[in-house]
Amino acid sequence: MDKKSAVIEKQARLQEVEALLKAPAAAPLAPLPREVLVPEARQQTPAVRQRATRPDGRLHGLGQTKYIDDYYLPGMLYAKIKRAGIASARILRIDTSEALKMPGVMAVITGKDVPCNSFGPSLKDQPVLADERVFHAGDGVAAVAAVTEQIAAEALEKITVEYEPIRPVLDPLESLQLETPGLHAPNPNIYGHKVIRKGDVEKGFAQSYRIFEGSYRTQMVEHVPLEPHASVATWDANGRVTIYSTLGRITLGRADISRTIGVPMSRVRVIATVVGGNFGGKNEITTEPVLALLAKKTGRPVKCTFTRPEEFLASTTRHPLVMDYKTGVTKEGKILARQIRLVLDGGAYCSWSETTLGKACILSAGPYQIDNLYAEAFVVYTNKTMTGAMRGFGAPQVCFAYESQMDDMAKALGIDPLQIRLTNALREGSLSPTSQKLHSVVVRETLLQAAQRFGWNEDGGGNGAQS
Amino acid sequence: MVTVTVNVNGEPRTASVPPETTLLRLLREQFNLTGAKLGCDVGDCGACTVMVDGKSVNSCLMLAGQADGRDVLTIEGLATLERLHPLQEAFEQLGSLQCGFCGPGILMSAKALLDENPDPSEQDIRDALAGNLCRCTGYIKMIEAIQGVARADGARPAPKSA
Amino acid sequence: MKRRGRGIACMWYPIGFTVAANPSAAVVKINEDGTATLLTGTVETGQGSLTILAQIVAEELGVATEDVHVVSADTDTTPMDTGAIASRTTYVTGNAARLAAEKAKEILFEVAAPVLGVKADQLEVSDHKIQVKGFPQRNIHIGDIAERARGVNGQPPIGSASFNPATVALDPETGQGKPFATYVYATQIAEVDVDDETGEVEVLRIAASHDCGTPINPMLVEGQVEGGISMGVGFALEEEMLFDGEGRLRNPNLTNYIMPTSLDMPKVEVDIVDSYDPTGPFGAKGVGEPTCVATAAAICNAIHDAVGVRITSLPATAEKVWAALQAKRAQEPRQLAAGA
Repeated sequence: MDKKSAVIEKQARLQEVEALLKAPAAAPLAPLPREVLVPEARQQTPAVRQRATRPDGRLHGLGQTKYIDDYYLPGMLYAKIKRAGIASARILRIDTSEALKMPGVMAVITGKDVPCNSFGPSLKDQPVLADERVFHAGDGVAAVAAVTEQIAAEALEKITVEYEPIRPVLDPLESLQLETPGLHAPNPNIYGHKVIRKGDVEKGFAQSYRIFEGSYRTQMVEHVPLEPHASVATWDANGRVTIYSTLGRITLGRADISRTIGVPMSRVRVIATVVGGNFGGKNEITTEPVLALLAKKTGRPVKCTFTRPEEFLASTTRHPLVMDYKTGVTKEGKILARQIRLVLDGGAYCSWSETTLGKACILSAGPYQIDNLYAEAFVVYTNKTMTGAMRGFGAPQVCFAYESQMDDMAKALGIDPLQIRLTNALREGSLSPTSQKLHSVVVRETLLQAAQRFGWNEDGGGNGAQS
Repeated sequence: MVTVTVNVNGEPRTASVPPETTLLRLLREQFNLTGAKLGCDVGDCGACTVMVDGKSVNSCLMLAGQADGRDVLTIEGLATLERLHPLQEAFEQLGSLQCGFCGPGILMSAKALLDENPDPSEQDIRDALAGNLCRCTGYIKMIEAIQGVARADGARPAPKSA
Repeated sequence: MKRRGRGIACMWYPIGFTVAANPSAAVVKINEDGTATLLTGTVETGQGSLTILAQIVAEELGVATEDVHVVSADTDTTPMDTGAIASRTTYVTGNAARLAAEKAKEILFEVAAPVLGVKADQLEVSDHKIQVKGFPQRNIHIGDIAERARGVNGQPPIGSASFNPATVALDPETGQGKPFATYVYATQIAEVDVDDETGEVEVLRIAASHDCGTPINPMLVEGQVEGGISMGVGFALEEEMLFDGEGRLRNPNLTNYIMPTSLDMPKVEVDIVDSYDPTGPFGAKGVGEPTCVATAAAICNAIHDAVGVRITSLPATAEKVWAALQAKRAQEPRQLAAGA
């Protein structure tokens, strides 16, 4: 008997059972290996410093970890969000009537249906669904719940939005120059400002053997968690909503959901289970309030999983920075004074910009003892995807600037790049740029350890040698 | 609707689906095999990797109808009731996965590699994983795990290809 | 022709929020058999933080990691936590978890003291036992005491605690103050090959020395460093969201937004520097974000070392490096003539 007919025969016997399984079955069909071997390191005491394996590691490897998109609740609907597709505009009219007429479409909502249409970790400047003004092309303007994802996606095409375009501002330096009122009138374009001042930079520059100046820029970067943002919302008859979500911060998430949908916190339950990568990109709500409202309207659970393009268009990203550095040094490479100006491109909404601004400004001097310092940072709105928390909160950007300049100074002064860092490195008890007395400081130790591992002193340097 | 019969992890499974349904959606939505993940739906990320007739494929790029009558191995079929697959064991021991979302796809790519080449070089492994994106790990502990399994299995003859 | 270069970069990075309160609370319940359950509001987002927290609780209770089950990330059942952000979980949630375990342990000590005929402060835990300090042979299994606490004393051993890093607000004029409780430090050194005809950069290896205080789990620390470096390689050489003049994103997909694959990863040599922070749980600080901070700077310094061009805007794509090489050659007419 050939393979195909064998398959078909067996299939006939199973057909009846399969017919019952049109909706996804409840139980996983994966095998659970009977042999349960717990790795040695997990059983050892003391526990700290052990290379203990992760209990979730086995489930990951078996494909048994349940991420939000793997959940199916009976009767569940699928939601899709209509994205503005225009970076800056006034919304004149949204017509959802044609979408609502489609078979399989159970509900459509717009910003007008959101009880409190604003959120954000510091400034509450971000709408759940944009209803008057679009600030970036990824703004959601309407949401559909339908019986399948496909119908929901088709319904988006039937929603028409009339816009009055407004010239977008895309360059942070242009935004910095704009007079009030800015993009988010009546708020100014510069929505965050920070200064760190220590010692007297002018005096430090006057005493310097040489002064170096440099300008550096970094780009906008997406977190790219392999798991796209996803949530499921479901209500019970007591008026409580449970939201399964890919949030990395459920406490803040619950507060934002409760506030935006106008339901007390005690009636909102947020469960995050396991998140498939965060890197700062899943630290605030995205579609959760929309799903809660759609689920309430339809009386059925509603799920939404971002498409990969939505990850780029409608979730936060890393702040691009424009960085100006001026540094005065002695002949031996000791930094006497440093002056820094940072301009952060905040994108369309504040999100975690205040935190990024603060960390970037404080860290911008580098891990060095600098007695005379002036660092000033601004964050401005532009009509691009909003920037927010991303691994490092401004630190990778300023490190690129201060370490590039460090090498330029070393080269100009004829000092080894390792040596100039050792000369300036923070030590135990050093005062930070904010005059905090530092403890457990090991900059020098990491420099020496990495240099030894690399073979910095032995290898004589790449120095452009042909390889 | 098309009726599709696929031999999944050794069991024949059948379903009637719209013709545009991908193998990935067939596995996830009809057969409740949610191990293969939807990360991009256009074949860029590899989170949906499964094996079809012994070769690794992006199941988001294959139509369910194209898999009709063929053998599909998913992550759920890698372990037996008796034991984990050596790759699963090695990945667990070395902490090769972090968030785990890319894991099922990576493991299937690794299995496809070792089935074809039981003694791969580090470059062979890197080549085999090139279609599977991971954002957490830098791939390093995965490569080490695959090398470890290959070395342990080195003495074994290569399985005959189908 | 490929030219070899090497570049160094060091960095510092804080643990927790900038001044703002970012507390964590935790509950530890010791079961009647001496195993334990930790309730935490933080979220496992892949870093392995739940394993770290289990190790911290296990260490405090003198049991094994395997004996601690962690329940997380449910606003109905787990205590408040600021969440998986700001490299704070090991330090802040870890401190809360350790304190909660300590409180639960104090109940066990109260129950055990009369049994062992000593005062509670003479007791310590080790290898699943509660024992008299200096006289480890005088001991009882932790499970026996946990069962006695419930069944005889009627005092279930449950501890709850919270922790918030100590900070001092920054002066609005000068920015002076104590924004963070502690910082970590790191150095990365990159070796690259740059093709001086195409501008293409290949990162060959990176030596990374990182401070995380006590490494609660060295394997997971290595995993963070390796993953952070891959993100740093993407930031340095590949990744960029590109907008057109109207503000529309040109590459909202993984076809045209290039991030590192297995083929782009250099060899990575990770060292964890000897370090101990007395304010952290068992001396630990944290490691998540700082791992991706120094990479781009080290790579760009290596490019400069290899071909003498300074890339001042990221990413250092082949096109950008090539253009910088062209500009450099244009400024060196004599050398060019000599070469021709």
